[in-house]
Amino acid sequence: MIRTRFLLAGLALMLLGTGSALALGARLNRTPELHGTLLDPPLPAAEFALTSGGGRLVGPPQFRGKLVVLFFGFTHCPDVCPLTMQRLGAAMRELGDRAEQVQVILVSVDPERDPPDAIDAYAKRFHPSFVGVTGTEDELRAVASSYGIFFARNDAGSEAGYSVDHSASTLVLDRDGQLRLIWPFDTTAEALASDLRYLVRR
Amino acid sequence: MKHKLLLGSVLALMGVLVGVAFFAIAQPVQVLPRMALAPGYALVDQNGQRLTNEDLRGSIVLYTFAYTGCGEPCATIERTMRAVAARLDEVDTGGAPVRLITISVDPERDTPETLRAAAPALGSDGSTWRLVSGESRVVKQVVGGGFGVFYEPRPDGAVRFDPAFVLVDGWGITRARNRIGVPEPDMLLDQIRLLGNEIRASTGVARYAYEAAHLFSCYAY
Repeated sequence: MIRTRFLLAGLALMLLGTGSALALGARLNRTPELHGTLLDPPLPAAEFALTSGGGRLVGPPQFRGKLVVLFFGFTHCPDVCPLTMQRLGAAMRELGDRAEQVQVILVSVDPERDPPDAIDAYAKRFHPSFVGVTGTEDELRAVASSYGIFFARNDAGSEAGYSVDHSASTLVLDRDGQLRLIWPFDTTAEALASDLRYLVRR
Repeated sequence: MKHKLLLGSVLALMGVLVGVAFFAIAQPVQVLPRMALAPGYALVDQNGQRLTNEDLRGSIVLYTFAYTGCGEPCATIERTMRAVAARLDEVDTGGAPVRLITISVDPERDTPETLRAAAPALGSDGSTWRLVSGESRVVKQVVGGGFGVFYEPRPDGAVRFDPAFVLVDGWGITRARNRIGVPEPDMLLDQIRLLGNEIRASTGVARYAYEAAHLFSCYAY
């Protein structure tokens, strides 16, 4: 009788031990080859609501339960923005059904030339589910800054009059609205899709 | 025989448990917490050069806040920055550069020219330690909003603010906010050293020990 109890206790302890060791191991090791920087534990992320097409207020809080991908750009952007947006669009198509669990938001860094309808239409050129948002310069600066993104008008810019220099990283918020992953500029569509697939599964 | 095997595995697993518990309690590896993203900004330094947070990606950055017309109240902050700058070679950061940035809380009067004139006396060399300023509302948003450092001009022309020494890692993540008085240079150097340890351990098996340290909140400060 005592022996059985000892055995049972041992077995329970063993299960507990294996469980915690596995949980720890899994937590440290479950990450596949991610192409962005994974933040584990995730960081708090600023909430915001900015104006999108038709004057709608749009922001991450209304997409809780989905992954929210944030990119900062502008419609007159010559290379960095169209390239990144095009890759995000390709990644979404690669995700198939899972793309429904991802919402891409393009935040303008050029309030002067990007009215709400223009930035939203621009975003939708890359994928119909994308939304583009904008606001006043102070609003945009506050939102961008809170995500570690800078932008500054560069008058020595393009044919369109001026350009806007800005951080080119893309950020991913998890289903709870916390900052989870940061991709550097020039991450390929395959890499974006692979990381998103991993985050969607979690 | 069967019992011995069972006993053996129970003991082994207890060993793992004790190991995990030891790690969580004794905290053999200490780290600085990953607090939040540091703000993004574009400001101007004493040489009229634009400085953005992106320029500092990959560097360990110690931010402070002061202004040139401040006099004695800022002297301790400046002395501390000088001491940290002079002793940076004591710290092994695994090759990551360390940068000191002082953002003016009096941007109206602290133009790049004013900052350049004040730099030699402070000991700011314009590369390792840079003094920066910018448009008032931009500085307010970055310092007041982003770094959470409150400041306001007083009627007598001085600026009221509380000293803060904020440490940001190469990913742009805030790792330490020293806001109670002016910290000792030793403590700031120790915080930089902790980030250096983490960078040097960012490859191989040691990485797991450091990630576990974050998991178990083995926080040094």
